[in-house]
Amino acid sequence: MSDAPVGIDPRGPRFGAAITSLLLLFVIVLGLSGISTAQGAASFGWFAYQPLSSQTFFPLSFILVTAPIGARILDPAFLLLLVVALLFLWGVLSPRTAPWGALYRKLVQPRLAPPAELEDPRPPRFAQGVGLLVSVIGLALQLCGVPWGLPIAAAAAFIAAFLNAAFGFCLGCQLYLLLQRAGLVGRRSAA
Amino acid sequence: MPPWIAVLVVVALVAVTTLVGWALRRRESRPRRAVATGSEWLDAGARGAQATLVQFSTELCTRCPQVRRMLHTIAGEADGVALAEVDLTHRADLATRLHILQTPTVFVLDATGAVRSRFAGVPRKDAVAAELDRVIGDPAHV
Repeated sequence: MSDAPVGIDPRGPRFGAAITSLLLLFVIVLGLSGISTAQGAASFGWFAYQPLSSQTFFPLSFILVTAPIGARILDPAFLLLLVVALLFLWGVLSPRTAPWGALYRKLVQPRLAPPAELEDPRPPRFAQGVGLLVSVIGLALQLCGVPWGLPIAAAAAFIAAFLNAAFGFCLGCQLYLLLQRAGLVGRRSAA
Repeated sequence: MPPWIAVLVVVALVAVTTLVGWALRRRESRPRRAVATGSEWLDAGARGAQATLVQFSTELCTRCPQVRRMLHTIAGEADGVALAEVDLTHRADLATRLHILQTPTVFVLDATGAVRSRFAGVPRKDAVAAELDRVIGDPAHV
């Protein structure tokens, strides 16, 4: 443990996860009520959605499949998930300056008792990477025109963030051990 | 879909995730009692005279320090109970052999060194203490 970095307050990442899960809830609402899941016959964007238009041969066709790339990107759910993904990226690249951590240290931490123990900052950083991966998958599915891809990916990220914020469950830890058992990580030194 | 249905779906998602969280937390304090197996992977010198608590961790484990502190308290309060820690970060083979799917995982070993039960996750202190009492009071005959 001699090379372990300076510890952080373990409540900081949970505070960040709470804000992240709230943002992801908005992404899911926007995604479910927007272009990602909309069905209909419109062929030129969801603005002109007409439920009873003449294309009765495809009553359940997804609008996203035929929507132009611009409409897929300008979807509010896509833009908000992009913001969340960029925040995850910030948390991976520079955890010390990431906005929720800074907000926690400035506003919340001074009002709380000191933490019982400090935590290694690498696991939360690893979890930010997992969140980034899931968000990018959702964004990519939307760009490729896969219906439901974005809200489902956002829901997966929400479950992980909410379990972390509310229960302190570290899905990242568990994932790390599973990856390790699969021989993908942690094989730098021989057993 | 109309926004109000989207909001309902999200409310349901929060409710289900909360239930999953409660269920996971309850499960963590429930010991899994296995047929007693040996613990040759643990250095014999690390064993306690009455029982041994073994914690498995990895470097990337946020919840391991709190369990370590809790087990330390339990081991300090009981006579002849030792606490051992195994870092699985570089021992993927051991994780596979012992079927450890998550960290922290806690094994309770009896006086003979046999593995009597295990907790996956962060157990409550009274659950571990009760299991320890059971194992000390009823050593396996192997």
